[in-house]
Amino acid sequence: MKPIIRVRNLSKSYDLIKPRHTKLTLREAFARAIKSPLQYVSGGRDTETEILWALRDVSFDVRPGEVVGIIGRNGAGKSTLLKILSRITKPSAGEIDLYGRIGSLLSVGTGFHPNLTGRENIYLHGTILGMKRSEIKRKFSEIVAFAEMEQFLETPVKYYSSGMYVRLGFAIAAHVEPEILLLDEVIAVGDAEFQKKCVEKLKELRRQGRTVFFVSHNLEVVRDLCQRVLLIDLGHLHEDGDAATVIANYAPHTFNL
Amino acid sequence: MLPDKSRAVPRGTESITEWSSGVIHLSADLPEEPLFKIRANQTWATIDFREVWAHGELFFLLIWRDLKLRYKQTALGALWVILQPLMMTLVFTVFLGLLGHPPTKNIPYPLFLYAGLLPWTFFSSAVLAGSYSLITNADLVRKTYFPRVLLPAAAVCVRLPDLIISFAALLLLLLYYGIYPPLSILILPLIVLNLLLLAMALGAWVSVFNIKYGDVGTAMPIILQLLMFASPIVYPASLVPHKWEWIYYLNPLAGIIEGFRAALFGLEFNWSSMFSSLAITLLLFVYVSFSFRWMDDELADTI
Repeated sequence: MKPIIRVRNLSKSYDLIKPRHTKLTLREAFARAIKSPLQYVSGGRDTETEILWALRDVSFDVRPGEVVGIIGRNGAGKSTLLKILSRITKPSAGEIDLYGRIGSLLSVGTGFHPNLTGRENIYLHGTILGMKRSEIKRKFSEIVAFAEMEQFLETPVKYYSSGMYVRLGFAIAAHVEPEILLLDEVIAVGDAEFQKKCVEKLKELRRQGRTVFFVSHNLEVVRDLCQRVLLIDLGHLHEDGDAATVIANYAPHTFNL
Repeated sequence: MLPDKSRAVPRGTESITEWSSGVIHLSADLPEEPLFKIRANQTWATIDFREVWAHGELFFLLIWRDLKLRYKQTALGALWVILQPLMMTLVFTVFLGLLGHPPTKNIPYPLFLYAGLLPWTFFSSAVLAGSYSLITNADLVRKTYFPRVLLPAAAVCVRLPDLIISFAALLLLLLYYGIYPPLSILILPLIVLNLLLLAMALGAWVSVFNIKYGDVGTAMPIILQLLMFASPIVYPASLVPHKWEWIYYLNPLAGIIEGFRAALFGLEFNWSSMFSSLAITLLLFVYVSFSFRWMDDELADTI
């Protein structure tokens, strides 16, 4: 079957020691330009700069309807992968073809404005995540019901408890319903009951045939939700296979970190 | 044993039919060509204006958000909008007026000032807001995807209602002085459009530097202050010696503000200065739509 996501030789590097990206003052920039004009013209990359490969030569295909878990240690490159897939940042090398609309939730409640009410934030956040206004209108009551916050709709979100904040964030993202959904560690929020609800919602999305990409440290949830798991370590795609096997291979490592 | 594990099949392809259970068959609708191609290599390209167009709703929502927030938290609300140019008019009228103000072709000096300060106040506050738009929305830039140029563009447009409100105040002021606006006032929207494009281009351009260089935030007010005196706001452009005019009109604001005033008071238009303003604005706009795209690729890693 034709893949919905096609990733080939994907790499992403960051400069470590003297990142070009840190804030230079203009004076420093001038000083550099004067000291080493050639280097400056050629991009200002210092030769001794250490390069960190957040991702190195990663290739895989995802078919429509697959729910793929991504596991790995902190800093392995999981979030970088999701950031590239959601087009937030560019890869350094390689290519990706996407055959569906992407919706990503990389952190819960990004774009919420504290002084706007819950209702206003649903519209704002939903639009940022890629929904049309008419779509939000249609799903509005469903979102509110899922977040269980009917009576707080007209309250500015700065008065929300952190749990309410998180519930609303997930509720909106879960109703975007793109063909491909990217989630970064967003299930690990809220109380146990809400987590269960999130997992149920994801299963429903899975039943609808949506492709879900799912980063988590919660191996139980990954095992429960995903058929396939990618294990990423130090930027490399270490293992790619069915959930039970990959998790079984990975689990021992987590204990001797 | 967890319920799904038993059904898990490597790579999952065979089990899709079981899962999708007839609700949606997305796989059948896969397009021939990819919707998005993500590539590393940067080619020379402008901002993807088609994509910007597709995000129109978000653009208006961002404007709506900022307007709502501004008027929600101020007691005087819209009054501030009129107060700012009015205060400056007062200050300049008192100081320059007492010293013997520059010739203004029979236009009362306060009116002359206000008519110049009005587009200027819009321009400077719009460029300043635009230049901070990426920083104030850093969270969005880091965690979500949409054409980033929407942020400075929206921040600039948020200032448009201010312009309209203070323009209404200007009309009242005109009537107070017994001046009836001439027909040439109809050209004002075009002049304002030129001003808007200029503010958008500059705001977007500076917003990126504001992330890379910490000094930009400090330098901006100073540069804007200098620009104000390099533009015909408290004095008419006719004061500029003839041989320096060509340099003077390299500042696109000069033609815009002179044009604004001419349209308002029915003075003779300086067409060449207005067209050179437009030409410089368009050049800048094209340049920024390339350079913004180019720097856009690094934004999320930098901010």
